[in-house]
Amino acid sequence: MTPESTSPVPATTPQTPSVSPAKPVQNALTWIMTIKSPEDYQKLQGLVQQLSSAPAGQNPIAAAADTLGIIHFLRFVFLENNTKLGVMTIYDGDFDTYVNEFVNQVGPIFDAVLAHMADAPPLPTQTYRAQFNAYVRANDVPVVMFYSAYPTSTVLDIWAATGK
Amino acid sequence: MPPLDLSDIQGFILRGYNFPLARHLMLQINDASEGKRFVGSLINGNARLPQITSSVEWGAVKPTTCLNIGFTYEGLKALGLPPDSLASFPQEFVTGIAGRATFVGDEGENAPENWPSDYATAQTHIVLSLYAQGSEVLETATAELRSAFGQQNALIELGHLDATDLPESRVHFGYVDGLSQPCIEGGPQLRRPDMQPICPAGEFLLGYPSQNPDFSYPVPTPSILGRNGSFSAFRVLEQDCDAFEQFLRTEAPKIGMNEEKLAAKICGRWRSGVPLVLSPDTDSPNPPLTTEQINNFDYVPSDSSGYACPIGAHMRRNNPRGERVAGAGAHIHRIIRRALPYGPLYDPATPNDGIKRGLVGHFICVSLQDQFEFLMTQWVNGGTFAPGLYGTKDPMLGDNDPEDSKFVLPTANGPQIITGFARFVTTRGGAYCFLPSLTALNYLASTEMIKA
Ligand code: HEM
Repeated sequence: MTPESTSPVPATTPQTPSVSPAKPVQNALTWIMTIKSPEDYQKLQGLVQQLSSAPAGQNPIAAAADTLGIIHFLRFVFLENNTKLGVMTIYDGDFDTYVNEFVNQVGPIFDAVLAHMADAPPLPTQTYRAQFNAYVRANDVPVVMFYSAYPTSTVLDIWAATGK
Repeated sequence: MPPLDLSDIQGFILRGYNFPLARHLMLQINDASEGKRFVGSLINGNARLPQITSSVEWGAVKPTTCLNIGFTYEGLKALGLPPDSLASFPQEFVTGIAGRATFVGDEGENAPENWPSDYATAQTHIVLSLYAQGSEVLETATAELRSAFGQQNALIELGHLDATDLPESRVHFGYVDGLSQPCIEGGPQLRRPDMQPICPAGEFLLGYPSQNPDFSYPVPTPSILGRNGSFSAFRVLEQDCDAFEQFLRTEAPKIGMNEEKLAAKICGRWRSGVPLVLSPDTDSPNPPLTTEQINNFDYVPSDSSGYACPIGAHMRRNNPRGERVAGAGAHIHRIIRRALPYGPLYDPATPNDGIKRGLVGHFICVSLQDQFEFLMTQWVNGGTFAPGLYGTKDPMLGDNDPEDSKFVLPTANGPQIITGFARFVTTRGGAYCFLPSLTALNYLASTEMIKA
């Protein structure tokens, strides 16, 4: 989850300290989960479709991400013949803290997705946070190269600049 | 919500006493039954011993002393709390302040290894906080308490730290403090309106609906132990007044500002307490702000760019109020501050006097992780929660390093940036405390707990 060690951005301290720091503010999560069974895949697909076909502003995942204000991009993909679900995101800063906040806010949505996973942690996530975090970490594919077109801009910076 | 049982909730959670003196005694329990006896003696109505103060209104006569108590995880263990009950406490409390030090920025000089042994450290089991109207009653009450510690080192006083309310309720660095506090549903109402939502009781007390829409914090078991309790981060924060004044003197002229204005930009209030948002150009507006006005403001929409109060100022960071921040909103991370200065008033005419000064007290919340630690990691030492702050930390409180420190003052003509400053506040002690209800204290004092 922390790409800084492999970042192509030079790690040297800039000459003038007022220049923004070299480490990109964004991090990547490539969370690949194994789906329990074809039936679970069917249900998950239904769930994801239902979420993404909700009218603008009513998709609870988008709404939660909008509230969170640290997620640049988020996508769900089915992989390896629909045996796996990938959740991929580029986000700002500290993952654990905001996942924790996400769980406070929309824990039941995580639970609904995780219920279909082969090696799911104990649920509900609101009760078993450490296990949930460990599960995410264990299933996050490490970054080997990370590029950012705007390494020092957070979602909130971009929103402020674009008047959102 | 049914009304809060004020007689069951420790007083300093719901109300500020506004006493001039405080003394924090750090205790260690070496004998569980003596420890229990001591806890019991603080709630059994013994007229010769200060008793734990509840949240019940005083009426006309203010007491001469107030007493409150917090237990660390090690303290609860030393009292013999059974394992299943110990296991029901939140992880960060179990780990304790020393184990969480790196995470919250207590590194290097600030690390627990360097905390004086007579301040709160990993060895502390109990923080006993005594508040007094004068030094005579403070000494009498202290002597009474000490006489109740018992024989043969059953309870050891590791040390104590005294705090004093300085004139005009100033804290070191020269600011008037104690103006903003959360208003809690079912608790005493605040004298100063503040444009902020009332906090649900469960944001500060265990056993009530919390600030999160469908999640409330688990109550440690058994429920007579957990309910109506709370948590605090007890902190001893040393302030380098010389360095702070020096910083103002050198940096203010560089950006064409006077020292007082730079001091205001660092905090979010002028040293007089007047908030920058209501008075960006003077610390003494005419007519002066009333009690009703002094905390009655928001940063948005009027100051969303931070031209009046920098987005990175201490109090705007620690409570961004209505501003859009990363996460589900600023109001879910409120904290109650019960802290007073230690060390005498600083006199700029006699710098480098070698006297230790700082702020000591309890930062109270229902979840150390979601409130105190969130503030320290995201808002104080982090810079991704609001626009324009990446790579910056709280200029007053943050873990700043001259190598990369940066304070951004937005203006209509682009930001002014101050760099190269060190941290002004050093952590010198601390303890994560559980603040039990009076029912829970009775339970902790009983032998019934061991049988449970
Ligand atoms: C030596 C250390 C500190 C000093 C000198 C200091 C000083 C101040 C001052 C002068 C104010 C403005 C007065 C007021 O609004 O009541 C303030 C507000 C505040 N501080 Fe600190 N503070 C310190 C440590 C902390 C810590 C450790 C925290 C949190 C963990 C914190 C959180 C806050 C909050 C939440 C506010 C009120 C903001 C609001 O509600 O608008 N402070 N502080």
